[in-house]
Amino acid sequence: MTAADKPKIGIYGFTGCAGDQLLIIHTEDEILNLFGATNIQSFVMASSNPIEEDMDVAFVEGSVSTEEEKEHLHEIRKRAKILVAMGNCAVNGGPQAMYTGDGGYDKRLKKVYGDSVKFVTKPLEAKPIDAFVDVDFYLPGCPISQPQTFALISRLIHGVTPEPYPHPVCHECKLNENRCLLLDEKFCIGPLTLGGCGSACPNHGVPCVGCWGPNEDGNFKHHIKLLESFGMAREDIMRRIRGFGGSKIVKLIEDGGK
Amino acid sequence: MPNKKNITIEPLARVEGHGGIKVEIKDNKISNVEVRILEGPRLFEELVVGKTPQEDLSIVPRICAICNLSHKYAALRGLEKAVGVNVDSTTHLYRELMHHGEMVESHSLHIYFLALPDFLGYDNAVAMADKYGDTVVKALQVKKFGNKIMRMMGGRMIHGENPIIGGFSKLPSKETLTEIKEEAIELLEFAIATIDLLAGLEVPDHMERDTQFLCCKPPGEEYGYYGDIFIASDGEEYPVENYKSVIKERVVGHSFAKRSKYNDKPFTVGALARVLLIGERLKGKAKESYDKLVNERWYRNPLFNNHAQAIEQVYSLEGIIETVDKLLVSDDAAIAKPTQESGVGTGAVEAPRGTLIHHYEVKDGKITAADFITPTAMFLDDIEAFIRTGGEQLLAKNKLDNIELQFEMIARAYDPCISCSAHLVEVVYK
Repeated sequence: MTAADKPKIGIYGFTGCAGDQLLIIHTEDEILNLFGATNIQSFVMASSNPIEEDMDVAFVEGSVSTEEEKEHLHEIRKRAKILVAMGNCAVNGGPQAMYTGDGGYDKRLKKVYGDSVKFVTKPLEAKPIDAFVDVDFYLPGCPISQPQTFALISRLIHGVTPEPYPHPVCHECKLNENRCLLLDEKFCIGPLTLGGCGSACPNHGVPCVGCWGPNEDGNFKHHIKLLESFGMAREDIMRRIRGFGGSKIVKLIEDGGK
Repeated sequence: MPNKKNITIEPLARVEGHGGIKVEIKDNKISNVEVRILEGPRLFEELVVGKTPQEDLSIVPRICAICNLSHKYAALRGLEKAVGVNVDSTTHLYRELMHHGEMVESHSLHIYFLALPDFLGYDNAVAMADKYGDTVVKALQVKKFGNKIMRMMGGRMIHGENPIIGGFSKLPSKETLTEIKEEAIELLEFAIATIDLLAGLEVPDHMERDTQFLCCKPPGEEYGYYGDIFIASDGEEYPVENYKSVIKERVVGHSFAKRSKYNDKPFTVGALARVLLIGERLKGKAKESYDKLVNERWYRNPLFNNHAQAIEQVYSLEGIIETVDKLLVSDDAAIAKPTQESGVGTGAVEAPRGTLIHHYEVKDGKITAADFITPTAMFLDDIEAFIRTGGEQLLAKNKLDNIELQFEMIARAYDPCISCSAHLVEVVYK
């Protein structure tokens, strides 16, 4: 198969830690095959001289946090048949979106950068990419999971529709036979958090901090009550629940869950 | 000369994060150099205010994926000072093991996958595989090994929550440690062969100029990646608590990364700074590598940072072997508890790409102020200065072919982490 026949892929990074792109680079056993089976025409973190043309699938990591990123995202959307939001920053906005919409952004920006700077591109309060463009598939994670990523890429390049994975961290934690941290009255938000991480943290005896973003089937109302029954202040619970879910988790909390 | 109006290198490839380089040329002279960091601002210093130290530890590694454990480690060192935690010697050894793992992961990624393609004339490391198949395959093994240690100690390859205030939630078994040691012994041979591979590379000299170096001075007599004292190439030493008066930060419009100077001048941090400042402390195969590679040009040429990382790759593999040996005969680690609710603490470690500072103020168990200075924020001015010197030399000699690549190689040699610094190349001929 020549490069022209292979599915064309672009991998892009906006504002975030680049951990999702890094995770693809860190697939030591698969990366040579990935470059062999697809035509990766743009992956700036791994290769020089990107080709910016129409493509079959675009993967976008990171939140939109500048005016330039917003324009670039629209431009990628126009060129891509399929657009995948890759990682929590693209899906939910990431940790930088934990206070998005609270009215305090300008003040925080000034506190960090001062008020005399004129930036090369206008900073924007962090938002997930679906705040601006239609997203075809979501690949959640902080970082994304290698098995989920390769399952999704394989399906997309073979023209099969990827199946959703609507299971919370709790589900995987049970399969791993961990003792439930909630039984010990520890703050854990595994029931509210989208799985796929293989319950990495509870496997190590540490609670789920919610880094994959909200599982929309979660019973938010009841879980907050449960945590309150452990003697935690509502304010502390809300602060910790909101770490990685951007404004999407705020909405789910307000609605009490789906 | 070509009648170009602009040299714009954007995006800067094979670095972590979104940036560019802009070089303006007027009357055959460089009039302006800007390493632009276009990654948006994330405002972590404000996000952690109001959080507990343990919550901070979940958030700040998200500043950067490649060196997430350096961020965790710097935060731990700062926060543990603030709340009065003294970890035991076994926990300390496990943290060193964790840090060696990240060095192997990050240095191998940079040496073979981000930097080497330039020297061998490829767009990326996968394209090198036809001719340099063995090197690429072995390089993947080394990187995988670094990741394995990060997963083992961190709790996940990237952004694990296993390191906690006072220690680790879960520790590896003696069997796992022994396996790690055996694997390090096996990979050491390739790391040493890499020294010879790099020794054979031609390194351009157009950008050479004097600069300054700074790194953490490890306690004791050994080489290492942390310390409570900064040591600089002018012979000065400073307690890390004084970081604000030593490293002067400022904000510039072309970059969401802040900029820093030492003695009002640009300076270098990273493997090159460490090897030049404390390299005499190396021993074993790392010392042999040091003796083989280091020469006077290293003080004036940032491209040797790639070579310095290769020396540290040897050092860290040997360090893993030595640390495991110590751990196998150590007492069990306990999790140390905070002894106070309020306090101030500055934590400094050497991230793979240079000195990383996390400063915290904690009151009644919650963070009231935080300040982070990342290595990339420290060395961006130095990159610009080297690009300016290199550009002037190349213009004077009319060597304009591939001038963009020459500039990119300078920037890439520093292994910049744009996510960390939140900020890349454009050349404008006016």
